Amino acid sequence: MLKINNIKIDVNTNNGLFGAFHTFKTGLNIVRGNNTSGKSSLFQAIIYALGFEELIGGKFEKTMQSVLKDQVEYPKHIFHSTLQSFVLLEIENANGDIITLRRFVQSPNRKSQLIDVYFGSLLTNDSIESRPMFIHDNGGASDENYGFHLYLEEFLNWKLPKVLTNNGDLRKIYIQQIASSFIIEQKSGWSDFFATMPIYGLNNKEARIVEFILDMDVYGNKMKKQELNISKRILDNDWLNLNRRFERFTEKGGGNLIGLSQSPMIINNLDEINILLSKDENDHSISNYLDIIIEELDTLNQSQTVSVKDKIGDNESLIVKNEEQLNQISFDVEMLSSELTFDKQKLSNFNYQLENLSEDLRKNKGALKVKKMGAEIDLMVSENNCPSCNQEINDSLLPLSVKQVPMRLEDNISFLSAQIRMLQVNIESLAAKIISKDNNLIKLRSSQNNLRSQIRELKKELTSDERLPSIVDIEYRLNLKKRIEFYSKYLEDFAELKEELSSLSNKWKRILGEQEKLKKDTFSPNDISKLKLLSENFKSLLSSFNYSSKTINDIAISDENYLPLAKKPNDDLFYNIRFDSSASDFVRSIWAYTCSLYKTSIAKNGNHPNLLMFDEPKQQDMSINDFTNFLKELATYKSAQTLLFASFENSDETFKKATTDIEFHLNYIDEKLIKPIK
Amino acid sequence: MELYAKKITFSKKPISIPPEYRPSYMIGLIVLILKICCQSSKSSLLKLHLINWALKSNENKISLKKFVLSNYTESSKTWGIEPNLNRALNYSVHEEICSITGGKYQLEEKGEIFYQKITENTEYLNEEIEFLTFLGKRKITDSRIDSIYKKWKNQNA
Repeated sequence: MLKINNIKIDVNTNNGLFGAFHTFKTGLNIVRGNNTSGKSSLFQAIIYALGFEELIGGKFEKTMQSVLKDQVEYPKHIFHSTLQSFVLLEIENANGDIITLRRFVQSPNRKSQLIDVYFGSLLTNDSIESRPMFIHDNGGASDENYGFHLYLEEFLNWKLPKVLTNNGDLRKIYIQQIASSFIIEQKSGWSDFFATMPIYGLNNKEARIVEFILDMDVYGNKMKKQELNISKRILDNDWLNLNRRFERFTEKGGGNLIGLSQSPMIINNLDEINILLSKDENDHSISNYLDIIIEELDTLNQSQTVSVKDKIGDNESLIVKNEEQLNQISFDVEMLSSELTFDKQKLSNFNYQLENLSEDLRKNKGALKVKKMGAEIDLMVSENNCPSCNQEINDSLLPLSVKQVPMRLEDNISFLSAQIRMLQVNIESLAAKIISKDNNLIKLRSSQNNLRSQIRELKKELTSDERLPSIVDIEYRLNLKKRIEFYSKYLEDFAELKEELSSLSNKWKRILGEQEKLKKDTFSPNDISKLKLLSENFKSLLSSFNYSSKTINDIAISDENYLPLAKKPNDDLFYNIRFDSSASDFVRSIWAYTCSLYKTSIAKNGNHPNLLMFDEPKQQDMSINDFTNFLKELATYKSAQTLLFASFENSDETFKKATTDIEFHLNYIDEKLIKPIK
Repeated sequence: MELYAKKITFSKKPISIPPEYRPSYMIGLIVLILKICCQSSKSSLLKLHLINWALKSNENKISLKKFVLSNYTESSKTWGIEPNLNRALNYSVHEEICSITGGKYQLEEKGEIFYQKITENTEYLNEEIEFLTFLGKRKITDSRIDSIYKKWKNQNA
């Protein structure tokens, strides 16, 4: 929880020290002060000290009222200029740890990016250790040593969730964004739910805040989904790598891979994946192929050694056949190598073009930068105007007689980038084509050599002694033996590869299963009961505040962003409650929503800081009765701290009427917030 | 089905133009050349054209570099005179980035400020700046240009 113990404001002026001091208790605290007494200055000073001033709509000291940064008016119509001012805020967490924050508003030497954190109560002990911490700067929410909001997060024992931003990356929710759910500021806080939340490119931000405040499981599930997506991507990559290894492996064995897809899939039958090896114009799986060649060797071994004489006829016809084949292959080689030369030429052309385009792109980006710089020193050319005659020029140095409209520089840059991307795709595919053609050529050449040497052997045999055993035959047997050895090893290696594949396939199966499971239960039973309670709390509070624009039954809480919806009569669709509520009823619904977030969080052990701050909740001529009901509701929040700033129409009577029978701690701002300190 | 279109309309689309035809790019270059390569930030028109020509392509850069590194003996190519540079110079003069004094272009205070701004972050203009820094203030002087010019004249006479 976050409890505010006290606040001290010091303002040094040219006429001495001014300031204010207020303490707050657990339960309901009412800060009463007439309009222009400085009530809102106090409210804002608290927010400023916590570094939440983005809720007021800006950053740093400029968000503060002039009493803290320019001049103090006291008494009326007498002004003293501010020399230096700061806010001291003492806060306490659930463990009872106390820290004091000091932040300067106006100081010549102290930047407002700094917050001094004193590790203790500065009120009771003025010699405690402190450390300056940064805020809003890069690293203000993340730097481990000096980021104040990171420190505050730890102090509150919060674990702020990471959420997906519009850019698609993960980033922590900012603590100021959470703050918009329990701090309602006067000027714009009553215009919408979470109206003052700073945006920072977050997807569906209200929903993320509510999920955090109520500590919903849906949040964890979303994280899991994101994690799954990441492991999916990793697996995709692994699969592709394995696929490439399979391809290389297939190439080594001179076969054809079947049954393996490029992207991950569940493989039920590993036998579907195989490498087909061709023998005598038939395709065989590796093991079949092995069987066949082993059998062939066996039969050869059993038969008698053949002598040259027996084979003359066979050899002669074989020579003819081989020579025919050789001619065909030589022709293919010829064709392929000329194609290859052509492709390579094309590739180098593409690369040259790419180089030129990249150079152009770089220069264009340089031009854009120079143009922006030029605008900073007010060059007319940078605004596309002629510096001498002030007429429009179309951002080009082409002679006027050329009646062409050039692209805008930005368009030109995206045009070039698109061209580069296209060219890169072309280059990639062409390069792949060249590699495969190269491989083919190598294969063809090697079979060309094989045929040649075969023919040579055959011819040699024909001219040798007829009685000798046939060399070709012996060589063939040796060759066969070698091949059997090779493919036995090959088969083993293939089995190993398949083993790896099967483990990837199992992983894939698991990921898909988990994804399916997540799809079904985004909302856990816990979440459903939390949302139900939120909706019940909201509705019952609405009716106790006398919300009357709609019947309470026509109101629901959205499953999407958890904001209140209202149904039109005779219509099944729900709309944002804002469209159908009168102005005062909309304020009532903000009361009710802010309170029900707290109540639900308390009942369900959520992350609510148990702090509620309202600046002038009595908006839109709200009736005093309803306002009293609101105060009564707040007064029941004994374990929370509520700071309520109100003017009570500047009248004692209204104040008394509104607060009868209500237990609260009063801070009355008499006359002016900032007064001289003696 | 209709086989012939009854009417065909053409609409003019903006075209992509080389960065050398962007005023901002050229003015940027002029500032860089005057500041980095010219003594007291002052240059003749011909010199601006020479350096601008060199910056146009890598080949040109290499050719000028060779000429300088060979101690000005290697014959240099003829460089081009480009109207776009002249137009950019006109703009620069009217923007008061430079002025014409004594027939030469002189960088003015606004140009100096512009130079500071451009060099705060040189990400995309690194190659240009690198080459200009190689040339420096002393390697290509006006008298050098005159002598080359005379050489041409003699060759063509």
